[in-house]
Amino acid sequence: MLSHSEASEKFISDAERTDWHDETLWFVRAKRDKASKVLPEWEAMREHASQIKDHTLANLGEYLQAFEAKAIANGIKVHWAADAAEHNAIVHSIIAAQGSKTIVKSKSMLTEECHLNDYLASKGIDVVDTDLGERIVQFRNEAPSHIVLPAIHLKKEDVGETFHQHLGTPKGNKDPQFLTEAARQHLRGHFLASEVAITGVNFAVAETGEFVVCTNEGNADMGAHLAKVHIACTGIEKIIPKRADLAVFLRLLARSATGQLITTYSSHFHKPREGQEMHIVLLDNGRTRQLADPKYKNSLKCIRCAACFNTCPVYRRSGGHSYHQPVAGPIGSILAPNIDKKANADLPFASTLCGSCSNVCPVKINIHEQLWFWRQDLMEAGLAPAGKTIGMKLMAFTLANPAIYRIGGSLLRRFSALLNTSLNPWYKQREMPEAPKESFQEWYKKR
Amino acid sequence: MRVALFVPCYIDQFYPQVAVASLELLEKLGCEVVVPTEQTCCGQPMANSGFASSTAGCDANFTQNFEGFDYIVGPSGSCVLHLKEHHPSEKIRSSVYEICEFLTDVLKISSLPAKFPHRVGLHQSCHGQRGLRLSSMSERNEKPFSKLEDLLSLVDGIQISKPERADECCGFGGTFCVTEEAVSVKMGQDRIKEHDANAVEYIVGADTSCLMHMEGILRRQGSTVQVKHIVEILNHA
Amino acid sequence: MSARDQILGKIEPLEPIKHPGAFQGASEDFDFQASLAVVGARVVTSSELEEIFPGRRRYDKTLDGLSLAEIEVLEIDGEFGVAENGAIWLTEEAMPHRVAPFICQHLVINVKKIVPHMHAAYEELGKVKSGFGLFLAGPSKTADIEQSLVIGAHGARSLTVVIRS
Repeated sequence: MLSHSEASEKFISDAERTDWHDETLWFVRAKRDKASKVLPEWEAMREHASQIKDHTLANLGEYLQAFEAKAIANGIKVHWAADAAEHNAIVHSIIAAQGSKTIVKSKSMLTEECHLNDYLASKGIDVVDTDLGERIVQFRNEAPSHIVLPAIHLKKEDVGETFHQHLGTPKGNKDPQFLTEAARQHLRGHFLASEVAITGVNFAVAETGEFVVCTNEGNADMGAHLAKVHIACTGIEKIIPKRADLAVFLRLLARSATGQLITTYSSHFHKPREGQEMHIVLLDNGRTRQLADPKYKNSLKCIRCAACFNTCPVYRRSGGHSYHQPVAGPIGSILAPNIDKKANADLPFASTLCGSCSNVCPVKINIHEQLWFWRQDLMEAGLAPAGKTIGMKLMAFTLANPAIYRIGGSLLRRFSALLNTSLNPWYKQREMPEAPKESFQEWYKKR
Repeated sequence: MRVALFVPCYIDQFYPQVAVASLELLEKLGCEVVVPTEQTCCGQPMANSGFASSTAGCDANFTQNFEGFDYIVGPSGSCVLHLKEHHPSEKIRSSVYEICEFLTDVLKISSLPAKFPHRVGLHQSCHGQRGLRLSSMSERNEKPFSKLEDLLSLVDGIQISKPERADECCGFGGTFCVTEEAVSVKMGQDRIKEHDANAVEYIVGADTSCLMHMEGILRRQGSTVQVKHIVEILNHA
Repeated sequence: MSARDQILGKIEPLEPIKHPGAFQGASEDFDFQASLAVVGARVVTSSELEEIFPGRRRYDKTLDGLSLAEIEVLEIDGEFGVAENGAIWLTEEAMPHRVAPFICQHLVINVKKIVPHMHAAYEELGKVKSGFGLFLAGPSKTADIEQSLVIGAHGARSLTVVIRS
């Protein structure tokens, strides 16, 4: 697996595509700015949403139990999964009881986190992703590169070729309208044929036992309402206390994500329809561990709008796949190390700590501060790349001792030309600063 | 007013003219400026690399040099933010100022004997802007303000322009600039492109580290655009 | 131990933080019709509707048994519209089937009442009365290919709104 920096270098080697990726996502950020700036109450809403989430996390156990009781009373079957394996086994057992072999699934980053598709495939069950972007990447055997815009790393030519191969569309046709129509026809068949539909969950309301799923395409609803069995998969952090709390979250979510006023469909599933089975799977998978750590607890406030992706100057220029995790971008970089420190030790360093993410976040997650905390934790866990620890200790020693610092500084200036080498990553595409004869302190002493 | 001048290590070694301008400017404005001569570094390079646990020696040295002052002023938003957020001493945290905020908030200057008849592009360094709130940010729905622009507007003859993305990061990011070399350089090139579109002669900012990064790219490109720390302009007669 | 007990056992109550209560200070000056235009819906009068969709199927609570295959153009009643975003609240009682407003090719919704924003919308909703309800804002859409907006991804290809005061 390539590290973030290696994968980024590869991504950037196609300069034209990198510029396109950067500009396209910046445009989404600009739409978000416009949508947020027409509301004078925007910052107050962020604060309000943040407080609701803080309050919920402080009482998560109670709210989960309240949700469970209400949902059961509504006729929804509630399942709990401690980790990804349990989650997948639960989903499989529900499908197996139904005897279904083909399943439709709308966007759920949680099922990506659990690698549900691969698991079900190993059991002979074919999952059809129905979100257009997800279907595209599924055809290509790729992972989504963005949690809201899964195929944003692809150009229409790529999609045209993929659809030509998988759906038999004419070679060379790359018209988004035409390709979307082809997907519509192709997926309608699956919607009508599938007996089980899996969806994600945007919000689960403790007060009512209902859950809300937001899409623009209508694919979650098409699947869920036509299937005999609806399985909704959610992380335990998606709970909110009251139905009225949805107001502020729905106002923030789409505006932050794409600059839309609201997603086209915000569906409130309260009870199964007559004759339907409705299940909800509540997943932990490390979330309780995060909750218990005051440094990282706030990351559980995330509503998955991806505003932090779109604003991140690093994400825009490195692409989602460089993060080698289902959830990329700044939020992914603070979520992933909680699941696997070693595999994700590079991610908190894939940031300049510019702080843009924390300030676009609609629920005020201190993302860049958590990146900083993760850096400390990862280094303390001994996960520094070779040579870094000794280099840092040497630097710390030098800078703690003024006399050594002065000698070191003067040597560095005198021999700085030696750093003009290909071994110096700075020098690869940048000149070194010109070394002055005197340091400031040397000048000051003579003043 | 008695002021201790904090000169970040890389400015001391590679950009002494920024420290000289800071010293002269503060003196010009009537401050009694003391330069603690045993100072080295704020500790940020280690801390942002995940080695905050190794900065005790650096922190102690900083305290030793600066704890006797009520105003510690430095020409680097990033270093100052690090001290404000992470230095163990409360006295240090509450006494340290980035030089622009010191000029606007403490000295409250309303005029300057400065002249710089050039076209300059303003670079907003992230830690100064979002961390120290030297100016409003595009992410938030807030009233626009800018301490840097307020100060530059006091300079005679200057023409200020802003890049299209007025507060996008330049990609320096401390050790990020070498560990994530490709992204870092691409970010810097993109900033420069927007300044070039404004036909600037100088890129000006309040953080020499960002300027050093962009200068490295400019010089490799063979560009005639120069970088300047804002104090060099405010001190320019 | 069950996963449930395991998970709940791991959650320690944190320092209590108060729920902020109802949101105060929402803007009120929103135009429902303007928002409908933004979300890609068109607004017509009832006579215009007759011209555009003469053969549409109308559903109300007194009818049932529309088969899904019949639904090319479906007309249903919304409970109320939301001025800030053009969303219309629909409940399953107003539909022949939950999937109807998604699977039909073209959707027509009658709206009689308009509230200014989502806070007012949830106040209007009060207690849950339906097994399924949704805010619907415009026709189905996607921009998953190169961020090019395409109307009619999976759900209805058009939304026509009749405001009947």
